[in-house]
Amino acid sequence: MCALSYYLEAAGILTTGISLVRENAESMQPPRSLWVPFALGRPLGKPNDTAFQHRVIDAALSLLAAPAGPVLEDFAEEAPSTPVEDAPACPVSFANPNSNAETWTARLNAEHIQLQPWYELGKRRRKGRSLVGASSSTLTEIMNRLGGLLDRDTLPTDDLKGFKLAIEDAKTFYLEALTAQPGDYSAQKIEQILWQQTQLGAGLKRFYDRFSAIPKLAIMARLIASRQAIGGATGDEIEIKSLPSKED
Amino acid sequence: MVRLADLPEYEREHLLAKNLPPLGPLPWHTTTKALSAMRFALITTAGLHFRGEPTFNFADPTFRPIAIDRNADELIMSHSSANFDRSGFSEDVNLVFPIDRFQELVADNTIGSLAEFHYSFMGAGLMPEVYARSAAQVAGLLKQDLVDAVFLTPV
Repeated sequence: MCALSYYLEAAGILTTGISLVRENAESMQPPRSLWVPFALGRPLGKPNDTAFQHRVIDAALSLLAAPAGPVLEDFAEEAPSTPVEDAPACPVSFANPNSNAETWTARLNAEHIQLQPWYELGKRRRKGRSLVGASSSTLTEIMNRLGGLLDRDTLPTDDLKGFKLAIEDAKTFYLEALTAQPGDYSAQKIEQILWQQTQLGAGLKRFYDRFSAIPKLAIMARLIASRQAIGGATGDEIEIKSLPSKED
Repeated sequence: MVRLADLPEYEREHLLAKNLPPLGPLPWHTTTKALSAMRFALITTAGLHFRGEPTFNFADPTFRPIAIDRNADELIMSHSSANFDRSGFSEDVNLVFPIDRFQELVADNTIGSLAEFHYSFMGAGLMPEVYARSAAQVAGLLKQDLVDAVFLTPV
């Protein structure tokens, strides 16, 4: 974002905007930048909070009145949050008989079937909005593909981009199903459920390990799981190395 | 919260590795226009586009136009990073691409108008100078659209 600010301002267009990592803005010095203390992925702070989003935008627009720059200011408010214990409970129990199926394909398909009605409910709550669809495959096709790769213990080295789009569609499907009910969710809690309780999380962890073991493909591992999912091993961080696996 | 002091060391180190020097002499443009007369465009680096449009590659300096008359609720994301929350964007497009908020600012005369087209990049995996060419292309498009100012959002 700092680079775009630089080039657009140099071309004669006023720029202002949000910075999520203050140190990066301090270093690159875009013309006008409002640092906000929000989670990565949430530059306006909180979804569906019109008043709060307007306060963030107003603060960034006010930087346009500065007589000289670069200007880096801090937004004074934290994003409104709901205590984890008050967030809606996960509607799905993943301790179901199908999780004992012998193949990854069977387990992933069973999980998909279990989540489908919750995904539909969530989509209805969001008035039809869904981020699923970056890949050109249906969820059934994606689950069969991922399950097949896992059952054969192979990697999709001939189509890494298609694989990445497929797993993002699968993760998005799960996140949208797990947040089917109205309410303020803890993004971290939902991620923990995905990585710690689901067969998809366990399968992605297996892909992560396989890619990590091949030096020229190790970067692909980092595109599968977040640093927090892999790197954190204590406290509230996600410890996917502890995931149960049918093959362990 | 993205306060480095609050983050695990592995996360802190990754983000600090993105501390790079300015790309050149610091640009600073001014205008005599009042905010209420300015025409704005939104630019995000969240890797947004409409379903069916070309997805972004793992490292990709290209951009996608977002027409003002399209339904922004139909935007999806093909950002390559796995290291940010996407659940908030699932709930509300404005969390990343605040088009409704800016429409409201036009309606109450806080700003003058909105561009016909807005733009999405995918900010990951490339050094900043790689974006020079596409940024120049967008600057030209913005000027054709008589845009005075841009509001940028990362992800």
